[in-house]
Amino acid sequence: MVDEAQFKKMAEMISSMRKTAEGLHGMADTFPAVKRNTARMLASLKMLEINVCDLNDPREQG
Amino acid sequence: MVDHPIYWNPVIETLPRQKLRALQLKKFKRIFAWTYDHSRFHRALYDQAGVRPEDIRTFEDIRAVPKVEKSMMRDIQRKDPFPYGDALCVPLEEVTEFRQTSGTTGQPVYQPDTWQDWEWWAECWACILWAQGYRPSDRVFLPFGYNIFVAFWAGHYAAEKIGCEVVPGGVLDTKARILKMQELRATAMMATPTYVLGMADTARKMGIDPAALSIRRITCAGEPGAGIPSTKKRMQDAWGAKVFDHAGATEIGAWSFECAEQPFGMHVNEGMFLVEIEDIETGEIIEEPGRRGKMVITAFDRQAQPCVRFDSKDVIEWDSEPCRCGRTFRLIKGGVVGRADDITKVKGVLLAPSAIEEVVRSIEGLGDEYEVIVDKVGDSDRISLKVELLPEARGNRKAVEAALVDQLRLKTNLRYDLEFNDYGQLPRYEVKAKRFKDLRKDH
Repeated sequence: MVDEAQFKKMAEMISSMRKTAEGLHGMADTFPAVKRNTARMLASLKMLEINVCDLNDPREQG
Repeated sequence: MVDHPIYWNPVIETLPRQKLRALQLKKFKRIFAWTYDHSRFHRALYDQAGVRPEDIRTFEDIRAVPKVEKSMMRDIQRKDPFPYGDALCVPLEEVTEFRQTSGTTGQPVYQPDTWQDWEWWAECWACILWAQGYRPSDRVFLPFGYNIFVAFWAGHYAAEKIGCEVVPGGVLDTKARILKMQELRATAMMATPTYVLGMADTARKMGIDPAALSIRRITCAGEPGAGIPSTKKRMQDAWGAKVFDHAGATEIGAWSFECAEQPFGMHVNEGMFLVEIEDIETGEIIEEPGRRGKMVITAFDRQAQPCVRFDSKDVIEWDSEPCRCGRTFRLIKGGVVGRADDITKVKGVLLAPSAIEEVVRSIEGLGDEYEVIVDKVGDSDRISLKVELLPEARGNRKAVEAALVDQLRLKTNLRYDLEFNDYGQLPRYEVKAKRFKDLRKDH
């Protein structure tokens, strides 16, 4: 089972990955291989956000 | 053997109810705002009702959001941005997938999905398959045509996501599919209940006992059946496998699943969907278990053509008991028990067609196939039921008939004109069956 600290760390890492993927995507208008592959990565990152980040660590909430 | 955790998402699937509801409210607000800002069709609907995103603060506020029906989607499509019309929320070039509904209830509705939406489909199904015990060691056979309907596409991608080996069985005919499953020792498959029973029948005619194949789990979708106890038993007995129900729809997504505990019901994936049950007559929202109503559903994360308070016409009820699996996702008792537009009055009695199937398939001596015709004789309703007597039951016909009449009266409160046919005489359906014919609508 995932503990709270791990969960929070996961959320932070996912946010960081999004920033990196968005940055790479933004640079790649003339590089279709990077543009399209990072588009797919961003879609997968959304799934990670649904599974982790959307919770906004509710275990800390009352 | 690797010991895998039992939940796809061990945090959300066991989240305490209060926190799950808080998550749902947050996600509803987000998809409502997205839809309001990006869909001309929905915005016009919401403006007419005087509901804006900032008005949504509680679940009671959600009830003020107007519902969308399938007929409304039909009306706005086939226009620019072609062919989706005003409900499209993304630029057309971001749409990567086209599917459409089956058209059994009228003109098909088109469903666009972005690549993110398509990943979301696979994500919803991954939760389902994991809950049903699919693991990376499974070899999953898809005996399905891979066509314009969404059925099982997401099952394929989800099985891949989970790490299973996927064998696409499209194009092969039924016999070739059975032989391929046998050759490769497939451990799981996905199909409609009609096809599961049909394949078993074909296998037996080929001299193959389907229970002797390696299939140990079957996921059903596309039509009722896996939630009807007698149909489920027939499939499980035929294949020597556990059979699991799932309900989803093209316009909605894969919103529910039966878990490995087989609790006579299905979990709603409450992390991805908001299900409300509405009294069919009063429109009041039903919170308590044990009262049937019509499902109104919202998909929290679908973007190209959102599903927000979609009136699905599926009839469901909440179960009062939590599931042994430990998930806090609520169960709908018995799964989808019917459709609001299928439930009809015959001779003044409310009838759900699934009740007839439950009776027919609970009686030994009767084949899987049956046909119901409702028509009028003068001003009176008449309901006829055609069944098939299995060859081995020919000497026992009177007892079978007596049991059938008795159970029909008990379970449906109706008398039927019965017609017994020899095995094999009734129509066979390939994928989805249409066994209930109400001819009164033609009057």
